[in-house]
Amino acid sequence: MILKGQKRKLPSEDVEVPDQSSPLWESQRQFVFSVSLNKYQRSQELPEPSLRRSVLIANTLRQISLEACRSPPLDQQASEPSCSSTLSPQNNAANRSCCSGEPSVPMTEDEDWGLMATDSDFSLSAAISSILTALDSTVDGSPQAAPRTPLRSLENLSGPSEGGVAMEAGRTSYMDDVTMEDLFQDIDSSQLEKDMGVLGLRSGAGGCSAGNDVIRYLPPLTPPSSHPFSFSAEPLQHCSCTAAAVPQVLVFLTRCYPGTFEPRG
Amino acid sequence: LCGAKLSNCGNDFQWCFSQVKGAIDEDVAEADIISTVEFNYSGELLATGDKGGRVVIFQHEQESKNRPHLRGEYNVYSTFQSHEPEFDYLKSLEIEEKINKIRWLPQQNAAHFLLSTNDKTIKLWKISERDKRAEGYNLKDEDGRLRDPFRITSLRVPVLMPMDLMVEASPRRIFANAHTYHINSISVNSDHETYLSADDLRINLWHLEITDRSFNIVDIKPANMEELTEVITAAECHPHQCNVFVYSSSKGTIRLCDMRAAALCDRHSKFFEEPEDPSSRSFFSEIISSISDVKFSHSGRYMMTRDYLSVKVWDLNMENRPVETYQVHEYLRSKLCSLYENDCIFDKFECCWNGSDSAIMTGSYNNFFRMFDRNTRRDITLEASRESSKPRATLKPRKVSTGGKRKKDEISVDSLDFNKKILHTAWHPKENVIAVAATNNLYIFQDKIN
Repeated sequence: MILKGQKRKLPSEDVEVPDQSSPLWESQRQFVFSVSLNKYQRSQELPEPSLRRSVLIANTLRQISLEACRSPPLDQQASEPSCSSTLSPQNNAANRSCCSGEPSVPMTEDEDWGLMATDSDFSLSAAISSILTALDSTVDGSPQAAPRTPLRSLENLSGPSEGGVAMEAGRTSYMDDVTMEDLFQDIDSSQLEKDMGVLGLRSGAGGCSAGNDVIRYLPPLTPPSSHPFSFSAEPLQHCSCTAAAVPQVLVFLTRCYPGTFEPRG
Repeated sequence: LCGAKLSNCGNDFQWCFSQVKGAIDEDVAEADIISTVEFNYSGELLATGDKGGRVVIFQHEQESKNRPHLRGEYNVYSTFQSHEPEFDYLKSLEIEEKINKIRWLPQQNAAHFLLSTNDKTIKLWKISERDKRAEGYNLKDEDGRLRDPFRITSLRVPVLMPMDLMVEASPRRIFANAHTYHINSISVNSDHETYLSADDLRINLWHLEITDRSFNIVDIKPANMEELTEVITAAECHPHQCNVFVYSSSKGTIRLCDMRAAALCDRHSKFFEEPEDPSSRSFFSEIISSISDVKFSHSGRYMMTRDYLSVKVWDLNMENRPVETYQVHEYLRSKLCSLYENDCIFDKFECCWNGSDSAIMTGSYNNFFRMFDRNTRRDITLEASRESSKPRATLKPRKVSTGGKRKKDEISVDSLDFNKKILHTAWHPKENVIAVAATNNLYIFQDKIN
């Protein structure tokens, strides 16, 4: 094929091999997985990845990990247990991302999830899990709020500079529907409280009075591509804390400056 | 049957080159890449949109008396900048000015109206002609300078004088800020008062007069975005029933919705899906099942969907499988891995019906496009290229060789140019005239048989 870019040798092109026990299938699976990972990571570097493309790649990754779970010498007779029935604890997170959103996937082969816990498969599943979590928070950080009311028209923002968000009638900001707990599910609250105490913000209210002292301790902005939240406030760029501290920073920044930032949608 | 002449094989048409629009340079400017093509209801006007946000409208000239056997040509009627690049300050994102879709409104007066959309904003444009101007104003002289009122001693009635035709395009409505995700479709309703716009997760219904609000009629965004596995890829209003519309998904399903059933059409009235063939299952099965376009037939009885490798015709009364399936480029099935790697597998091809719904057309790679005759079941592959662009030259059917032996005039799969893709095609609603967009060039072909 005439393609721009380098030529490369690929494993055999025949991707219709139904026999999943062959090494050929396994090499194809690994190849597709690594290509998918690459693709996904590169698309996340773009300012705005295509949602359709991201979803299709994520689904492909899910499918590959499912196929990996079904690799021989599993019993191939169809007894279709549901995904969640025999989860082993350490695979919970991985399985959740494997199986979530696809309750209707027909599972014609026996899936003994307990056999899944080989090292390579576990790392594969964990990798997918972290990718999918990052994907989801990138495409839209705000979870769905209250159900929509029928026949309510969507009130538009007053001008194009305010961004392209369609809103329900009667609401002034979709941020009202989102709680901090929803946004920061990963946050280690014990760490947060400790930091808050150090910085004198434990009381929560009046955080603004911390002023420049607080700002000195804030971590630098992470680039938009690698973190779902981004905004530009210059004083924040002077420190060097770890990226893990960023969610905590954003929590008390919203208390200082409510309504000024929002997750990427 | 395929007779002696290769050019008659395939179907009853005999396609000839008519015109090509656009620059000949090898170096194609990104902004010039055509992103949508659409005839209006009469076929008199042909609109194209490009990545630079421009709309170019061509008009069908009357047949010349010298060559009455040949239909007239399409010449530029109006060019205007529809969308400009914008910056979304809230998300620090640039909004592309690329025109994703153009849809004409049915003509109701002397002016023409069309809707054009980029990723976020839909605009209603009025295209009108001016061929007269008023002369003999009382208060200003011919240059436009104000006359000294004390010098005016008599009154006169301004007279309309002919002038060179001027075609003006003006934006009459701007429908903005209703889509969080990228708009992929717009469709004018048969009531001629409303239209729908669809993005990856939502479909909104607008009234053409009202810009500050729209009704959300479909929302497939899950409560937890981690559960998102399917997006909306295309949507269209039924050509006759103003309460019915369809939308397609990235999982190869089509949902038909009736707006009378509920204000929120999250529950479909009909669900179209073909069961997967287990023998052809691969890692890419879902990606190639993603529907890139859905179009109702003019009759409203059928709809057509385009996925990566095929075009399917569905009877609206039968949900469990299509009534016809046409393979566009089945030889690519064994190349899906490479096509996934170079992203071609994500290309979104459109499809279209001819005016009588007897034939369908869609694009492929290497500047090939395919036509299928639904009655005879014959198909033909043609190429939009400068080489075959001699006036009134009949297009030679092309063939891709799949086996080891390549016949003369055939092209092997590995020689196909995947950068030359025909994503956008349009068929004149009444005549056998087709418009094919090949990157930055617009080809117009006509059927010789009149």
